[in-house]
Amino acid sequence: MTATNETVHGRIETARTELTPMQVATGLLFAAAIAFALLFLQEPLAHDAMHNFRHGAGIVCH
Amino acid sequence: MLVDYLQRGVLAGVVAGLAYGLYVAFVANPLTEYVHDAGHSHGHGAGDHSHAQEGTEHVVSETTTALVSVGSGVLWAILLGGLFAVALYLFEPALPGRDGLESYVLAGAGFLTVSATPWLVVPPAAPGADHLYGIDARIGIYVGLVGLGAAVSAAAILAYGRAAPRHPALGALAAAVPIVATVVVLPAVTPTVVTQPDVASELVTAYQALAALSQAAIWVLIAGAFNRLRRRADPAVNAVDTDADSHDQLTASP
Repeated sequence: MTATNETVHGRIETARTELTPMQVATGLLFAAAIAFALLFLQEPLAHDAMHNFRHGAGIVCH
Repeated sequence: MLVDYLQRGVLAGVVAGLAYGLYVAFVANPLTEYVHDAGHSHGHGAGDHSHAQEGTEHVVSETTTALVSVGSGVLWAILLGGLFAVALYLFEPALPGRDGLESYVLAGAGFLTVSATPWLVVPPAAPGADHLYGIDARIGIYVGLVGLGAAVSAAAILAYGRAAPRHPALGALAAAVPIVATVVVLPAVTPTVVTQPDVASELVTAYQALAALSQAAIWVLIAGAFNRLRRRADPAVNAVDTDADSHDQLTASP
């Protein structure tokens, strides 16, 4: 087993060498955008269209 | 390597998403519409502030709501799959279990973090519920409790790691302590923020149970599909991928 693969710290280091900060920021922003649209967007049109999903999934709705 | 994980996680999310999409289409959609209409037919006067949006006509048609809800369900599982993959990549060395069991441990932690802990204060509400707080406050509470859920999951996993070397049962007991403490204490110290005067309590119970079971099912499906994809990829990338290496080691060592 390689040492870098053994610990949480090692995993973070591996990711740091494999990815640029720009890629990490892009991924995080993308995930945040999806999460926001699905969970928190209260604009009436969006809210009403996703109404059944939010209730069914137990997400805070209105 | 992280990209491999993410790829499998998103694929696993698609698998879970298709199943959850069917669930939304055939269970959540009709049930939510039914509860919505049942709540309408009687007792409209009380709690009009919280009904403000629901009491009025739909902004979009029921068909649109049904279709977008199914799509949102699929996207939701994909999002969870992606988050699961990144978390597994980062925390895999710290998770107990081997041969894929660690995926299910993480799935359990994910369910505890994203759904179960926030529900202790803000339970899944059927349509027509009366809320103690406004939507902004509840979103804030929910997000804060996701953080608490993550802390509780981490505490449980760390406690297991401490106690398990002495005896596995002791480890399980130690892991249960932070979880049970949260489940007992949190609802006791927080006010009841959701009441459903318009809907029969049995229906509310069924609705909440369905929400809980369906969310748990998403996590189990993600972990299961992820493990399957990983096993299928392992022989192909043999020894090239460090990930495959560590997995082989795990299966080989007793």
